[in-house]
Parts: sequence; structure tokens; C-alpha cells
Amino acid sequence: MTQAPLSVDRIRRAVSALPTTRHEDWKYTDLSSAIDISTRWLQEDVSRAPDAASPQAIAALTAAVDADWIVIENGVPDPSSFPEGGDIGIERLRHAEALADDPLARLNSALQRDALRIEINAATEKPLGILIIDEALSGAQVSQATIDIEVAPGCDAEIIEYHSSSGDGDHYSNSAVTLHIGESAKAAYVRIQDRDLKHVQTARFAIELDTDSELQMAGYDLGGGLIRNDVDVNLAKPGASANFNGLYLAGDDQHIDNHTRVDHRVGPASSSQEYRGILNGRCRCVWNGKAVVHEGADGTDARQANHNLLLSDKAEIDAKPELEIYADDVKCAHGTTVGQLDEAAIFYLRTRGLDQRAAQQLLTHAFAAGFVNRAPVAASREAVTALVEARLSTLVREAIS
Amino acid sequence: MTAENLESLVNRRYEHGFVTDIATESLPPGLNEDVVRAISARKQEPEFMLEWRLQAYRQWLEMKEPEWAHIHYPPIDFDAISYYAAPKSDDDRPKSLDEVDPKLLETYDKLGIPLHERARLAGVAVDAVFDSVSVATTFKEKLYEAGVIFCSFSEAVREHPELVQKYLGSVVPRRDNFYAALNSAVFSDGSFVYIPKGVRCPMELSTYFRINAANTGQFERTLIIADEDSHVSYLEGCTAPMRDENQLHAAVVELVALEGAEIKYSTVQNWYPGDENGVGGIYNFVTKRGDCRGANSKISWTQVETGSAITWKYPSCLLRGENSVGEFYSVAVANNWQQADTGTKMIHIGANTRSTIVSKGISAGHAQNAYRGLVKVMPQAHGARNHTQCDSLLIGKQCGAHTFPYMEIKNPSAKIEHEATTSKISADQLFYCRQRGISEEDAVNMIVNGFCKEVFKELPMEFAVEAQALLNVSLEGAVG
Repeated sequence: MTQAPLSVDRIRRAVSALPTTRHEDWKYTDLSSAIDISTRWLQEDVSRAPDAASPQAIAALTAAVDADWIVIENGVPDPSSFPEGGDIGIERLRHAEALADDPLARLNSALQRDALRIEINAATEKPLGILIIDEALSGAQVSQATIDIEVAPGCDAEIIEYHSSSGDGDHYSNSAVTLHIGESAKAAYVRIQDRDLKHVQTARFAIELDTDSELQMAGYDLGGGLIRNDVDVNLAKPGASANFNGLYLAGDDQHIDNHTRVDHRVGPASSSQEYRGILNGRCRCVWNGKAVVHEGADGTDARQANHNLLLSDKAEIDAKPELEIYADDVKCAHGTTVGQLDEAAIFYLRTRGLDQRAAQQLLTHAFAAGFVNRAPVAASREAVTALVEARLSTLVREAIS
Repeated sequence: MTAENLESLVNRRYEHGFVTDIATESLPPGLNEDVVRAISARKQEPEFMLEWRLQAYRQWLEMKEPEWAHIHYPPIDFDAISYYAAPKSDDDRPKSLDEVDPKLLETYDKLGIPLHERARLAGVAVDAVFDSVSVATTFKEKLYEAGVIFCSFSEAVREHPELVQKYLGSVVPRRDNFYAALNSAVFSDGSFVYIPKGVRCPMELSTYFRINAANTGQFERTLIIADEDSHVSYLEGCTAPMRDENQLHAAVVELVALEGAEIKYSTVQNWYPGDENGVGGIYNFVTKRGDCRGANSKISWTQVETGSAITWKYPSCLLRGENSVGEFYSVAVANNWQQADTGTKMIHIGANTRSTIVSKGISAGHAQNAYRGLVKVMPQAHGARNHTQCDSLLIGKQCGAHTFPYMEIKNPSAKIEHEATTSKISADQLFYCRQRGISEEDAVNMIVNGFCKEVFKELPMEFAVEAQALLNVSLEGAVG
């Protein structure tokens, strides 16, 4: 299949329309590095072939979890990786419809050369893995993935979305993924973001739940220089339930922003989300959770929680749990905490013979542990644990030394 | 008497919209430098005050109306407003309580307002209210003995210009926001309080205020300075329904607490909220900020907001001094078509600063009630502590309750907690009460009062009782 040609003018317009920090939803996240990378990339020849990721890297990443992997390399799906026949249908599209009418969706639309539509028609033996890998050896590069996933009614689906990038160049990725969970279907979804510590990502994940369907999702942000995730959950049919969690680990020069929005359009339906962050070094994390209970959505149960552990005096957390409620028969609650390790807990461990460092490490790992154990796709737990432990060890070592 | 009766009664004064009967003393509608000069001249203000107003006016011209709040209203025509109206002459007022609408008196009765205050609240000509004059004189003497300065803002500008010049705009700068700038240019009057070092103000200034408050106009300006180790409790407004011909209100309140000082500022706001169809009602855009300038100082805001068609108000604390404390206790009730966007800001600057936020929002009818708050911990604010609790109660299917809390934390030793819940009065609760012989209306009142208890207990005693009654009146007809 030939790829759709890119219109430089259209991309340029979309880049110039990206939001600034004067925009309420972007108050804490400055996209100027994304704009800078895009602009430099546009000045070069946008049609030139992107740098290739090493096959060894791809092999190593896909070997970590026992799944059927689809590989999207620098925005281009690799057809040889598509599973053949069976219960998963994959179609390459020249263009997928934009998700929402917002500046990033318009940029995604302008940058689309290729899009994937994945249909999961029955439960599969292994989970479906989607590896989005970007390579930027030098200069400035932009690539993205656009994926629509459909989970058929009554089907149990397990999906892993893994973002990885490497290279000394600058890279910006603006991916868009939609997930539609059919009636009485169930989706377990794990998102891992482990980009190079200089690279920039904006990612929108829009989920729509049908009657009596269920979502179990967890996201892990381990890498990236500037990361902005938007998760939109749309509960438009009764009986749906969405449970999603996120863990973000940030060290020096990282900026990780998680924005979530849940729309309860009818009741009864429930949503619950919990995000946890561990921050160390000169970094900034943002969590903005919004639940909107629309008029008539009686029987809504919406919960939000956000807990942050600050290990450095150069770290900043900006948290904003929002509720907009237009119905009265609802249960809504949110809780947010920011703090450091409990002195009493450290003391307790020290009285049991652990030294200061071991005590701090133990407690920090414990703060994240519950999230790792609960990764919805069982096959991914081992890999997630290894990644989180590795990142945490580096972070905590830096915190103590 | 029902809420509708009360509203139709209050509403009568609003039939002609913005327009006041232009007394000879009023300035024509519109705002320009000449108007600002005229206001300043009429108040016989010193030169520095005029200059300050003019600069504010010029800054205001460059500013835009804020649009971020969760409120909707038609654009305000700032040139259609008259920015100065002399207080009403006694000839226009009722001569005694006998001439006042009995319905209004009935409301006073429900609210439990003391007899001697009713006349003033109903707008009876001042010299007819002989009772209170003598009380006021006694109070004045007591305050004078303690060295407390408590007077109208105009008087302070003339009598204590050095204090005014030193502190005015030091907490809320002229160009702080659109409405603060407007207020700075054209403020009508307000209160000025100065508590000298080590003095504990001998009485709740509230009591005095209620008896003596003059017609302060639509652009109120209040400045309270508590010098080292002093203490003052101040109450603004009252529970009685407040009538006013001016639809736009933009007040500014500045509090300064020096080392070891404590200011307790309580507000009961019950301006006309508009009728049951959302017509009319006061637009209340208020900037209130307290500055805990000294170590160990404390500023506490308590507010009961039941009135106004639109409330836009965020009483804040700048916690500069080490160990300083900020508190915000709020009950905001929105019924019918009222819209409230209110909350607080706690800015932790000094070490070991603490703040508490308790916000209770009640929405009924078609009202929209939003809590918007900011807790900010600066990098140097070691050991900062905040606890926020914001709860919403929904009564009815068409209303909305929203929370927009912002937390910006730049210090790892900070401990920040935020909790919010939303609930409605459940059928179970009502059934339980009714089963025990309590009428539905009483049951609702009881549940609502229980919901607000944490805030009411922060109010000065006599107002807590009235505020409770006020809540019942405000929510009349909301359930059932």
C-alpha cells in the first residue's frame, strides 16, 4: 500500500495552532519543544525516509512480553508483523477520522500517512501487543501512530501498547488511539511509555464503552522528556464500568502530564481512576482528572484519586481533580495527596535493622508496588515490574545520594 | 410566607433594571477620567488618592474581563452604570416600621433579627431609629479607649492618610484583576480598621457594623490592619435580605496581619438573587485577600453566601510569615438560577505555614455552584501543610455542582490533602426523619444544617443562629 502524501502547508498550519500555556488545559505544559522539533523537521525534507530502529531492539522489546506483536516503526506499520487469519482483523487505512476537534487531533490528522484499524473478534490465546517504536539518530524527526481498535460484543480482549524511542536526535510523536468496547465486552489494556529522556510525546487515547462493557486499564510512564497523555473515557451506555490507573516516575528534566476526562452520559455506570507519581530531581508532573456527569446520568459512581511522592526539593507537582456534575443521584468523590515518605515508617524500618537508604527504597517501591501487581494484562506483569523496578532504582539512588 | 413571596417583594425594586432614579447628587452613567476626578472631589480626597484612582482607571482600560469562571451572563455595559450616587435622603424612606412591608418584617422574624436592628435594615430613616444611636455611641467610646480605629473608608482617607497610603493596594494591587482595577478607580466607600499593637479588639466589630453601616454603595472597599499581636473579629453583611438598585457589585477587601496578629473575617452575603426565572439579581464580583505578613499571624475567612445572581469570589491568604495560618470556611447556596463560582487561594510562602479549607456547596433548582481553589506551595515553604475538604450537596435534577481545585506543590516536605464528595439528600435519610414525625421540610433543613455545621461553628455565635435560619429560608420550596 502506498502511503498518503503529506501536505507541508497543512502540517505547518496545524503546528502553528498548537495550544499555549494560556490555554486552561495546557496551563502547566508548554509545547514549545514539540513546536520546535516539528518546525525544524518541516524545514528539512519531510518525505525522506526516517531512521530505522534496530531489529535487535525490536526483538528485545517484543520478547519481554509473550504477546502477538504488531510493530509500528516511525509511524509505519510493518505488515510482516500482522497476525495472520484468526480472530484479529487488521486493516491499513490511508486515513482515519480525527478523534476530536482539537489542535492535537488536527495535527495528527495532518501528519497521517498511514492508520491501522484492528478488530478483535474473539478472545485470543496471547494478548495483542502494539509496539510503537521511533528512532531519531540525528536532527529533528516527527512520526506518529494512528490506531482504531474495535473489541467485538461479548469478547474478552487483552492489549498492550508499548511506546519506545531512542537516538540522539530530537523526536516528537503525536499518536492517537481509539478503543471501542462492544456490548458486554471486556478490555484489559496496558500502556507503557518508555521513551528516550529527551523525546517529546503527546498522545490521545479515546475509549468508548458500550452497554455493560468493562475497561481495566493501567498506564506506566517511565521515560520521555516532555510527555502529555490525554485519556478520554466516554460512558454513553448504561451498565458500563471503567477502571483506569496510572503510574508516573519522573527524574531530572522530565515533564509528565496526565490529563484524564470521563464523561458519564447515562447511568448507571461507574468509573474509577487512581494515578500515582514518584518525583525526583528537577522535574514536573501534572495530573488533571476531570469527571463530567451529564444531565440525566443518574446512578453514576465516579471516583478519582491521585497520590504523589516528592523526593526532591526541585520537583513540582500540579494536581487538579475536577468534578462537573449536572445530575443529582450520583456518588462522586476525589482525593489527592502530596507528601514525602513517612518519617515514622522509616524509623520503624530502621529499628528493624534496615539502613536509611534501604528503608527509603523499600517504602518508595511499596508506594508503586500495588500498581505493578495490578497490571490488567497478566502476561505483562513481569515485564512491567522489571521496567518499573529498574527505573525506580535509578530514581531512588539519585534521591538518596 | 414562601420564598416566591419574598422574591416578588424584593424584586419590585428591580423593575427598572440598572437605572436608579437619578437624584441630583448622582453622576451621569459612564466612566472616564472626569468621573474618577469627580468622585474623588466629592469625597474631598487628598491628591495621592486621586492619583491612585486615576492610575487604576488607566490600568483598567487595558484589562479584559475574566472569562474563565463557570458562570454565564450577558455582557456588562460599563458605560451604562452610574459610578456615584449620593445616599438616599431620609424623605424617600419609610418613617417607621409600620410603613414597611409586613412580609419583609415576617422574614426578619424568621431570621431572628433583633428588633432594634430591623428598622435600619428595612431602610427606615436613621433618626427614627433612636434605639441604636445610643448603643453605637457606647461602642464608639469603648473602641476609642482601646485605641482601635474603626471608621468609614472616606473618613480614613481624610483622618489617617498615612495608614491608608501605606497599606492600600499592598495586598490587592490595582491591576490585580479586572474588577479590582475597576473598584480601585471608582470605589464608593467601605470600612477601615486599624488595631494597634497588642490590642485585642474589645468587641466583635460585626455588632457595631450592623448598627452603623452607612450605605456603602456598589464598589465597596475595606482595609483592615492588625498590628503586632493584635486580634480582631469582623463581620460583613447580614442575614437580612439586602436590596440594592445597582446590579453590578465589585468589592475589594484587603487584610494585613502583622507578627502574631489574628484577623477573623466573617461574611454573610444575601444580596438579591433574582427571581425564580433568573431575571435580575446582583452580579457580585469580589476580590478578597489577606496577607499574613508577620510570623505566627493568622487570617480566617468564613463566608455564608446565599444571595446574588452571580457570585465570583475567592477570599485568599498569602501565608508569608513563618508559622502563619490561613483558614477558609464557606457555605455557598445556589437556588433557582443562581450561579456561584467561589473558593479560595492559599499561597504558602513561609516555612511551616498551615492552611485549612472547608467548603460546602449546596445547589438546588437550576443553579450552578462551583468551588474553585488554589493551594500553592512555594519552594521555600518547608513543612507547609494543607487540608482541603470540599463537599457538594445536590437538591434536584437540574442543578449542577462542580469543583475545580488546583494544587501546585514545589516543596517535597509539604503535606497536602484534598478530599471532595458529592451527594444528595437521600430518600433513606428523609424517610428516617419522617418516620420519627419530622416534617419533610424540617428534615431537609436538619440535613442541610448538619452538612454545613463545620462552617457554622466558625461564625460568631449570634450569626451562626441567623445563618442557619437564613439557609432554611433560602432553600424554601427547593424540595418536594
